[in-house]
Amino acid sequence: MSQVSDDYFTYPNRGPGLDHTRYAHRYMRSLPRFEWPGGKRLFVWITVHIEHFPMDMPNKPFVPIGGMDRPYPSVWDFSTRDYGNRVGIFRLMKVLDRHGMRATAAMNSEVAARYPHLLAEILKRDWEVAASGVDMGKLHHGLQYRDAEQALVEQSFETLRRLSGQSVTGWHSPAHSQSQNTPDLVAAQGATYIADWLNDELPYEFATSAGPLTQLPLSYDLSDRKILFVQNAAIGDYEQQIEAAFKLLDAESAERGGRILSLSLSPWVIAQPSNIRTLDRLLARIASHEGVACATGGEIRDAWQALELKA
Amino acid sequence: MAMWREPFSYDYAPYQDRPKIEWPNGARIAFWVAPNIEFYELAPPKSPTRTVWYRPEPDIINYSMRDYGNRVGFHRMADVMARHGVRGSVSLNVAICEHFPDIIERCCELEWELFSHGVYNTRYLYNLSEDEQREVIRDCRDTIKRASGQNLDGWLSPAISNGETTQDLLAEEGIKYTLDLFHDDQPMPVKVRSSNRLVSVPYMMECNDVPVLNFKNKSPQTYLQIIKAHFDQLYEEGAESGTVMCVPLHPYLIGQPHRLAILDEALRYVTSHDGVWLATGREIAAWYEQNYYDRFAEWMKPFNAGVVQERGA
Repeated sequence: MSQVSDDYFTYPNRGPGLDHTRYAHRYMRSLPRFEWPGGKRLFVWITVHIEHFPMDMPNKPFVPIGGMDRPYPSVWDFSTRDYGNRVGIFRLMKVLDRHGMRATAAMNSEVAARYPHLLAEILKRDWEVAASGVDMGKLHHGLQYRDAEQALVEQSFETLRRLSGQSVTGWHSPAHSQSQNTPDLVAAQGATYIADWLNDELPYEFATSAGPLTQLPLSYDLSDRKILFVQNAAIGDYEQQIEAAFKLLDAESAERGGRILSLSLSPWVIAQPSNIRTLDRLLARIASHEGVACATGGEIRDAWQALELKA
Repeated sequence: MAMWREPFSYDYAPYQDRPKIEWPNGARIAFWVAPNIEFYELAPPKSPTRTVWYRPEPDIINYSMRDYGNRVGFHRMADVMARHGVRGSVSLNVAICEHFPDIIERCCELEWELFSHGVYNTRYLYNLSEDEQREVIRDCRDTIKRASGQNLDGWLSPAISNGETTQDLLAEEGIKYTLDLFHDDQPMPVKVRSSNRLVSVPYMMECNDVPVLNFKNKSPQTYLQIIKAHFDQLYEEGAESGTVMCVPLHPYLIGQPHRLAILDEALRYVTSHDGVWLATGREIAAWYEQNYYDRFAEWMKPFNAGVVQERGA
């Protein structure tokens, strides 16, 4: 007797393209050669994650990177993450200011409410505020009721729009985690782009029940959190990997047209005293390079839409 | 019982335009070394919260690795520190005073500070009532006094196993500074329910040999690079407002032959700079409390105006 169900050998989606209808398959290489506005080849998109990890956050359905790893009450975990919002972020801002770089702040709305001064410093620099849920204890995931998730999405956008005065059109799900409904709920709130899926290095169109979104490439494998916190690599290895990505994308953009280098930064990781100097050096090399410009998520999304490219 | 959504131990303070801290003699960075002198029990009582050992007892590989520190590593580490004129502030499992009084004697000869890291590193504060925690604090205070004549001023919860109100209890029991909070690179006022003053002094996990070498599995050379880069940044920033750098050590790790040179080079590097205050935890806390506690508390107020700070969920 078979140990698998009757449908185990039926393959309803076996055919050209993907097994869902959220987006179409596209070979990045098939895109026509294009330039970003201002004759730039390479956009550097700096995303700074501004997050709150509650000390009482649940460990279900999974513990996100940076969550409470130790027994409650883990003041250790809580305070080392919170370090990013009071010490690290200001160290990072100093470095980005020095290189004339603006970032997208992917914010848990809870941080904007808790630390108004931090939000004011973000706005003062004309950074883009993107919505990143409510806090890191409130993940979006496939075991969640739609209504409960809708309330989170609404709270995030409503709080951030009210406190920042910005239109807030970007969304990054906490810990890159979505439910089946997240894109629909986010689009219904008036978002124009999401940055959660890891399958491309250029924007693409993403279908939702409330109209199409643009999905932007936010790096994960190249994030400080993955390399320095999960993989525990030395800062020199981080530097080498960013350098390698920059070198390759720079050359590819010269040969094949516009590219994006996404730097996904967490102040509690990269802005540690022992790490920040390396980032400073890296950005100095990147910022002075010909054909390179820094852009926010919203700016990249708008530039991409204006190109009206077809693969 | 409802869990607390945050520690409620400190207010928000951006690392930006802070009151200028000046350390003694115009130093820009207070540098301190905190050797953890620990005793892990071979067969400790069970904790409801956390399994002590990784393997079925007796976990001889993990027990003996740590015992090495008290037999071999300690004296070697102390020699290197003494050579560079760096005093230790000992994070002490106070039962060491009974198990190995010679270690305490050497610490006193070297004029090191002793502060408490609980009784044993295998007896957590998890699940203890406030009265039970007070008993532990008093035991630590009495034991350190008896063994060294020193007052107990500083506290690092054993295995960082604090409870919700541990910081309140520390302040009420007369402790002057805590190392349980990792939120800042400068000392900060700690919010407690009494009017007693408690200062948080930075104790840096980023430069602590256990997380770096054992949890994150970095090489000794990488550890040295971390310490140097960490120092370079905080030294630079210290020109604006005095910073603190702590190197927490464990003789069972740093005292091994393939790692000791790292400590030697790190201390040579740090002490080759001008404007470095080679301090103890107690000295840093006292200087801050006397000169900057009030100023910081006042300066921080506007950043926290209108933010709800009720304890609880």
